[in-house]
Amino acid sequence: MGRRRLRGHRGDAVGALPEAIAALSQTLPAGPSPEIFRRAKFDRPEAAPALWQLLFRVLSPLPADGASASPASPTSPALEAQVHLVKSALRSQGYPRRALAQLPEDGSQGSRELLLALAWLLARGPLLEQLLAQTRVRLGDEIPLCECEALASAGPLPPRQEADGPVDIRHLQWLMGKLRFQWRNLITSQQEQCALLGKIHSYTRGCHSDRSLGHLSVAETELFRDPEGGRQLLQRLESENARLEAALVWWRQELVFWKWMAGGWGPEWTAVQRASQEAVGRELATLQRAWEQGEALAQTHGPRRLVKRDAGASGGPGLRAAELIGVLRSRETCLEAVLGRLQTRCWQELTRLAGARPGLLWILPPGR
Amino acid sequence: MLPADCSRRLVAELRDALDACAERQRQLERSLRVSRRLLRTWEPETPAAEPAPGPETNEEVPPPACTPSRQELKELELLTQALEKAVRVRKSMSKAGERHKALSLKSGDAATSASTASAPSRASSQAGSQASETKPPRGAHQTTVPARGLPEGRLPSVGDRTRMARGARATKPGPGLRDQQITASAAPQAPEAFTLKEKGQGRPGLCWLPQTSWKPYCLFAAGSPQSEATLSTGFPDSILLKLPMAYRKAASQNSRLWAQFSSTQTSDSRDAATTAKTQFLQKMKMTSGWPGSGLSAAEVEAEVGLLRKACSLLRWRMEEELSADPADWMQEYHCLLTLEGLQAITGRCLHRVQELRAAVAGQQLKPWPEGRCPRASMPCEGRTDSSWSPQLLLYSSTKELQTLAALRLRVAMLEQQIHLEKVLMAELFPLVSTRDPQGPSWLVLCRAVHSLLCEGGERFLTILRDEPAD
Repeated sequence: MGRRRLRGHRGDAVGALPEAIAALSQTLPAGPSPEIFRRAKFDRPEAAPALWQLLFRVLSPLPADGASASPASPTSPALEAQVHLVKSALRSQGYPRRALAQLPEDGSQGSRELLLALAWLLARGPLLEQLLAQTRVRLGDEIPLCECEALASAGPLPPRQEADGPVDIRHLQWLMGKLRFQWRNLITSQQEQCALLGKIHSYTRGCHSDRSLGHLSVAETELFRDPEGGRQLLQRLESENARLEAALVWWRQELVFWKWMAGGWGPEWTAVQRASQEAVGRELATLQRAWEQGEALAQTHGPRRLVKRDAGASGGPGLRAAELIGVLRSRETCLEAVLGRLQTRCWQELTRLAGARPGLLWILPPGR
Repeated sequence: MLPADCSRRLVAELRDALDACAERQRQLERSLRVSRRLLRTWEPETPAAEPAPGPETNEEVPPPACTPSRQELKELELLTQALEKAVRVRKSMSKAGERHKALSLKSGDAATSASTASAPSRASSQAGSQASETKPPRGAHQTTVPARGLPEGRLPSVGDRTRMARGARATKPGPGLRDQQITASAAPQAPEAFTLKEKGQGRPGLCWLPQTSWKPYCLFAAGSPQSEATLSTGFPDSILLKLPMAYRKAASQNSRLWAQFSSTQTSDSRDAATTAKTQFLQKMKMTSGWPGSGLSAAEVEAEVGLLRKACSLLRWRMEEELSADPADWMQEYHCLLTLEGLQAITGRCLHRVQELRAAVAGQQLKPWPEGRCPRASMPCEGRTDSSWSPQLLLYSSTKELQTLAALRLRVAMLEQQIHLEKVLMAELFPLVSTRDPQGPSWLVLCRAVHSLLCEGGERFLTILRDEPAD
C-alpha cells in the first residue's frame, strides 16, 4: 500500500526505492523488511524494536570466533540492554542528535530517529564493507598482522573479580613473570603452526584451481577430511555471496535512498537545507582528507591470505613476506628504542631517589 | 605492601595483558589442532603425542627416517608393480563389467589391491613409475585401499609394512559407511571414496569420505575411467587433490564479488551518492541539539593514536639527525633543514593536541563503556582505499614465515611491554618517593621497582650495606 502511494507521488525513480532498501536489508545482519523502513520514516512505534535490534547487531562487537554470526543468537540480550548499548555506542561515535539519547529505554518508540541513526552510520563511512569484512568467510590461512584484528576479535571483557585488598609487590613480579612465560609459549606455538602450514602448503601444491594461489589452505584441505564441515562452509559461502550481490545492488541504487531520506521530514529541515548547500564543498574536502590520512603502514593492515611460492617465481599481486619482515624489523627496532629509553629514564629516576639513603651499594645484575 | 587502589589498578592491568595473551594462545591452539590433525593423515610417523615435534624449520631436508634404504626401495618397487597390476586388473574389470572380482592382497609381497590407487605413497614417488604412480607427500607411508567387492567390506591390510609401521597406534577406522560405499561404487561416475587405512597396523592414510550429494572429488587414480583428477607428475612431494565443483564455483564467485567492491568505488552514481551523503551528514550536525565540535570519543582516540605514532617517529628521526656526523657543509645544511621541518610538524601536532584536549574538555566525552569496543566496529581505518578482497601474502619458505610470525609477535609484545612500563612508572614512582627511605620496606620496594621497571622483571639487583671498616 505504501509502495503504491510513494510511486504515485514521485514517479519512476522511487519504484527503485523498495528494491534498494531490500538490498540494503539483505546486506545488513538482521536487516528488517522494507516495510519497516517505510513505517520508521513515519515514526510508527511498531517499527522501533526491529530497528533497535538492527542497530545493536551493527554496533556490537563480534563474538570471539567471528564466524558464528547467526541472526538469532541465543545469547543476544534483552531489548532494554540492546537499547542501552546502542545509545552509548552511538554517543561515543559522535552521533550528533540529542533526540536519540532521550528515547525511552523500553524500545517502544523512536523508529524515525533510529532510521536517521542508521542513515548516519551509512553515510559516515564504509559501514557495509566493514560489516561484511568482519564476517567474511576465510578460505585461506592468515596470520594476524595488526592489532586491529586481535582487538576486534577479543569481544567484550568478561567482568573480573578484582583484587580488593593491598597486594604485595612480589605478586606483581610474579604476574610479570607469568606474562613473559606466556609470550614464550605463544611464540613457540606460533613457530609450530608456521611449520605445519608450510608443510600443508607444500603438500598441496598444484591442487588449487586458482593458479595465482597454487596450493590449498588448511580450510580447503579440511574439506577433504570433513565433508560435513565442507557442506557448512559451502552454505556460508553461498549466503555470503548472496549478501555481496545484495550490497552491489544497493550501491547501484543508493542514490534513491538518499533522496528519500532527504525529503519529507518536516519544517525543521528546510532552513537547514539552504545552509548546507554552501558547506558541501568544504565537507567533501574534509572527508577526503580523513580517508587519506591513513597510516604509512596501511598495507600491513587487514588479513592476508598466506600463499607459498618459490622465491624465484616472478611477480604478481601480493605482499612479499620479505618486505613485511623488513617493515616489522624497523618497527621492532623503533619499539625497542622506546622501551630502552623508558627503562633508562626509570633507572635515572631510581638513582636519584636512592640518594635518599646513602651508605648502600647497589649492585646491578649482570648483562645490563 | 602496596596501597589498595594502586594494587587494584596494577593487578587489573597485568591481568588484562595476561588475558590478551591467553586469548591469542587459545586461537593459536585451535588452528594448531586442525593443522596437526590434517598432517597426521599425511605423516603418520609424526609422533602420536599431542605436542608435535619442534617446528621443522628446514623442511627442504627430509628427516632422516624418510631417506629410503635399499630394502625400502625394493619394497617400493614391489608395491609399484602391484599397483600397476591393479590398474590392469581394474581396466579389465570395467571392460568385462564384472564388479565383484576381488583383488586379493598378498601379505608378503607388499602388494595392494586398488580399485583406485590413490595412496599417497612414498613408494611410487621414489620408484618413479608412470601410470599408476601417485606422488605422495614426503613421509607418507604406503597404505592400502580396500578392494571393491570384498564381501564384508572390510579393509584389507597390507601385511608387509610392519617395518614402517609406527607401533600399534590405533587408527580411527572412520565411520562404517565409508566401507560400504567403497564396495558399492564402480559405476562410471566419479569415484566415491575409499579409505586408505590399515586396520591393525596403525597407519592411517588419507581419508576421502564418500558423499554422493557432496559432489565427490577425490582422486588421482591412474587409468581409472572415473577419476576426475589427473596425475601430478611434476611435484614429487605433493599429492593432487581436486576440490569439489560446487565449492570452486562458490569460491570463485566469492572472490569475484569481493573484487567488485573496490571497482564500484569510482563511478558517477557513486559521486552523486557521496554528495547526497555529505549533505545528509551536514544536516544531521546542524539539527543536533548539542553544542560542541562534534568529535566523538572514538575519533579523538583514533587521532590521538596517530599523533602518538607521529611523536615517536618524529623523535626517532630527530635523534637520527642529531647523532649524524655531517662530513661537509652540504650535509650539515641538509641536517638543519630536516630539523627545522621536524620542528614545524611537531608544532602543528602540538596545536592539534591542544585542540583535541579543548574539544574533549568542552564536550565531556564519555569513553565507550566496555573499554575495547570502539575498535570492533571500526577496524583498520587505514584500509579504506585498498581492496576489500583478501590480499595475498607471499612467502617462500617455512623459515621466512616463521621469522615473519615471530617478528609480528615480538612487535605486539613490545607494544604491550611499553604500555605496561608506562603504567607501572606512573603508579610505582610516587610510592617510592613518598615512602620513608629509612623504613624497612623501602629497600624491598626499590629493588622490586628496579627489577620491574628497568629489567623487565627479568633480573634483580643486590643491595649491600656499605659498612665502613672500623
